[in-house]
Amino acid sequence: MSTEARAGHFPAVDWNGGAFPYRVGHRKLGMWLFIVSDSLTFSALLIGYAYLRASNNWPTPFPFYPSIVFSSVMTFCLLSSSLTMVFGVSASAKGDKAGARKWILATMFFGAAFVVLHLIEWKHLLDEGLRPFFLPEHWAKVFTLADGTPPTALFGATFFAITGLHMFHVATGLIYLAVVAARVKKLKHEDVEISGLYWHFVDLVWMFVFPLIYVLSVDMHGALGH
Amino acid sequence: MSEGNHEGVHRHPAPTGFIRKYIFSLDHKVIGIQYIVLALAAVLVGMIMSLLMRLNLSWPGTSWPILGTLFPGGAPNGVMNPEFYLSLVTMHGTIMVFFVLTTAPQGGFGNYFLPIQIGAEDMAFPLLNMLSFWVTFVGFIVILSAIFLSGAESTVGPIGGWTGYAPLSALGAIAGPGQGMGMNLWIISIAIFCVGSLLGALNFITTLLNMRTKGMSLMRMPLTCWAWFTTAVLALLSFPVLLGGGILLLLDRLAGTSFFIPGGLYVSGVLSGTNPNFPLHTGGSPVVWQHLFWFFGHPEVYIAILPGMGATSHILATFARKPVFGYRAMVFAIFAIGLLGFFVWGHHMFISGMSPYSAIAFSVLTLSIGVPSAVKTFNWLGTLWGGRIRFTTAMLFALGFVSLFVAGGISGLILGQSSLDLAMHDTYIVTGHFHLVMGVASIFGMFSALYFWFPKMFGRFLNESIGKFHFWITFIGVYAIFIPMHIMGIVGMPRRYSQFTEYEFLKGLHPLVVFVSVAAIITILVQFVFYFNVIWSVFKGAKAPDNPWEATTLEWNTSTPPPHDNFAGVLPVVYHGPYEFAVPGAPNDYVMQTDSGVEVTSGNGHNGHRH
Amino acid sequence: MTAHAEEHFAGTNKLFVSIWVWLVVLTLIEIFLAYKTMSVNIMLTVLLGLSIIKAALIVAYFMHLKFERLSLIVTIVPMLVVCICLLFVFFPDSFRSSGLRYKFEEAPPVAPAPVEEQ
Repeated sequence: MSTEARAGHFPAVDWNGGAFPYRVGHRKLGMWLFIVSDSLTFSALLIGYAYLRASNNWPTPFPFYPSIVFSSVMTFCLLSSSLTMVFGVSASAKGDKAGARKWILATMFFGAAFVVLHLIEWKHLLDEGLRPFFLPEHWAKVFTLADGTPPTALFGATFFAITGLHMFHVATGLIYLAVVAARVKKLKHEDVEISGLYWHFVDLVWMFVFPLIYVLSVDMHGALGH
Repeated sequence: MSEGNHEGVHRHPAPTGFIRKYIFSLDHKVIGIQYIVLALAAVLVGMIMSLLMRLNLSWPGTSWPILGTLFPGGAPNGVMNPEFYLSLVTMHGTIMVFFVLTTAPQGGFGNYFLPIQIGAEDMAFPLLNMLSFWVTFVGFIVILSAIFLSGAESTVGPIGGWTGYAPLSALGAIAGPGQGMGMNLWIISIAIFCVGSLLGALNFITTLLNMRTKGMSLMRMPLTCWAWFTTAVLALLSFPVLLGGGILLLLDRLAGTSFFIPGGLYVSGVLSGTNPNFPLHTGGSPVVWQHLFWFFGHPEVYIAILPGMGATSHILATFARKPVFGYRAMVFAIFAIGLLGFFVWGHHMFISGMSPYSAIAFSVLTLSIGVPSAVKTFNWLGTLWGGRIRFTTAMLFALGFVSLFVAGGISGLILGQSSLDLAMHDTYIVTGHFHLVMGVASIFGMFSALYFWFPKMFGRFLNESIGKFHFWITFIGVYAIFIPMHIMGIVGMPRRYSQFTEYEFLKGLHPLVVFVSVAAIITILVQFVFYFNVIWSVFKGAKAPDNPWEATTLEWNTSTPPPHDNFAGVLPVVYHGPYEFAVPGAPNDYVMQTDSGVEVTSGNGHNGHRH
Repeated sequence: MTAHAEEHFAGTNKLFVSIWVWLVVLTLIEIFLAYKTMSVNIMLTVLLGLSIIKAALIVAYFMHLKFERLSLIVTIVPMLVVCICLLFVFFPDSFRSSGLRYKFEEAPPVAPAPVEEQ
């Protein structure tokens, strides 16, 4: 009987050496640990953002088109990419390597769409005059408070830093998936599953970035005349 | 041999060729030695810096010609200027904390002995292991380059202290000498180091959970393994926050953001936003940097000390010929120290203006860390009580660890009270405290581990006579250096000041300052005796048998030095707990973990298990 | 490892598609709420709550954690939750410092001449 199967009967034995206590191999456990640590990096940045936002006059300039539309489509792309990834891992579990490759390529398509849309969205904002270190003039005028406090340039700083780091993770994920897709015939099912874990983690981070950065900064009253 | 243990471990024959064997090796033993060598080099740099600091404090205004040649901006005519001194403070702290105290105890001894002590052939991810060393090495090269590339004012690096507080660290070159390129290199070096540490932490946790040999349950692991495991968990959870903060700091410096820079700053007479040299910065908060840094920084100091605690427990038991008193309590104490270590970072920030309600919480939690620490201390004493002690050099250093940890810990109880800390913060009492408890105790843990495991690693003993000389001079020396600092702190001598000559109230302390410096010079000199001992003994030391100390754990079961796959193809099976000394009815005064013939019913239940 | 191929891959494609539908629906709710006026605290709580639900769905079903051993879940999840909660200790300082911001009217009309670099 394999170690894992035997372990199912005598749970305490798993911890007595000579077995995998979580019934999970080295690489998968290592990927979970990496995900925990990377979550903390993003948490540190997001909480720093929250801290600064709570203590500053923050502009809310995102128009429905293009910002919210683009970011919603991006969210939809990333969610779909997670779905195709799950199909891919499922195919790999059944031994269907060609099917797994097909679904991983679909995941990469959605992931690449995300990156492209994100870059276009960045370009919209850069064209309007947003930079990491100052806001466009017309934003500053519109969002200045009654007592004269101008909106803070940290809006741009936190926006580019957090979405930039996330985009970097997506891009790295695309390269990772490309390697897995290319070598899928030689890799074990577990390796496909592990690449899936990384990809879902990237999606998971976006589940927090999207509402905290985009939804909370929506230009509700059309103040910027969009 | 169980099927579960071989996934991911290389099962190819031992590498040939100098490069694969000693440079880019996948063998955890070689990587462990590489980390130790890195730490020995780094500690040399750190010691020289501390020597220069002491020279400046005791004999200010003296000209040191070699400094004048190497650093004409920072030491014009050989006389150190204040920024040069501050850059010494910064680089000494950074190099010692990161490249000595976070590398050797965990990456050095942990890498070498964790797999062997749990009965595995190698770490779970040998390639990641090699990468984590070389990444750390690159980080070391970058920080060394900061010494010589810090700009025209030629300080030895940035001047903001190893804590790099904003806004000084975030402003860029305008903030002062060394704050341009030097500071950029510093941040990049730390970021690289974070990555190396994270890779290492992954490896340790996975290896310890998944690769223990048959019979090696968690409660039969040596306390060294528990310490390395907890340290790895702390590293996994704290280094990412430093990485996040470092990214934001780098953006502040290079991309003009203001995460940590508030509005309305005047620097060198220039208001932010009124000069192209100093663009507009508003809205940031220096306290955020302090929170992010210390959220990492406090677990970091436990990362520095926990492996030393594990080694001390291990070595005290071995040379007292007694089991560790209260093994279970020791395990829970290690956990408690690691866990509580995450909740107390605010005690570095009592004077930052943070909410006094937070200060109450942080203060109470800080003082409560004294409980598991006291548990460990009393258990160490309990381990020694009634033992037939063998005073080898390793044992002496382990005893020294206990002494230093208690001495340093007591001043921690004073500093942990926020009301007292208001007066003591940034005085020499803090310097005395953390040097005793983190700097020296940790180093003693490493010395102890080296003297203990040197025979296993190199097949030869370190010379015991030289070792004892090294111990006594160092032990007396470090007390002579750091106890007077507590007095200086109570009088009110501030930290990180390059000179005290203008202050009337400190003039009386000058003889004490000189005394500390003389003690420091002697202690530093005796370390060179230690270096000589190490290098000489690797080649010419007395040959050692497989188990010279008559110890019980798995590393003493294999040949000296261990073969490439640690156990020559036959993984051991474990029958007992790790510290079965003086077992009634056993043939020897120690029972090895792999001795199947002997039945042990000790304080840890039957053969190390409660059932 | 033969054990992995034997292990049934928990979750049918139908389950995954339904999770995906839920995720899309929750996202649409978030976008809808973006345009509703409500106090910042309530908006933040609702958005964070929705995000946590979405994250939990992804972790449990897509990342398969629900079907792993309980000990793995108990190891990973609380560790993360505790650490993130600890970071929330920063906030009292944030709220306090919002009243301490530099007021631009206080700036002198003309900055003093820059001091020569030493």
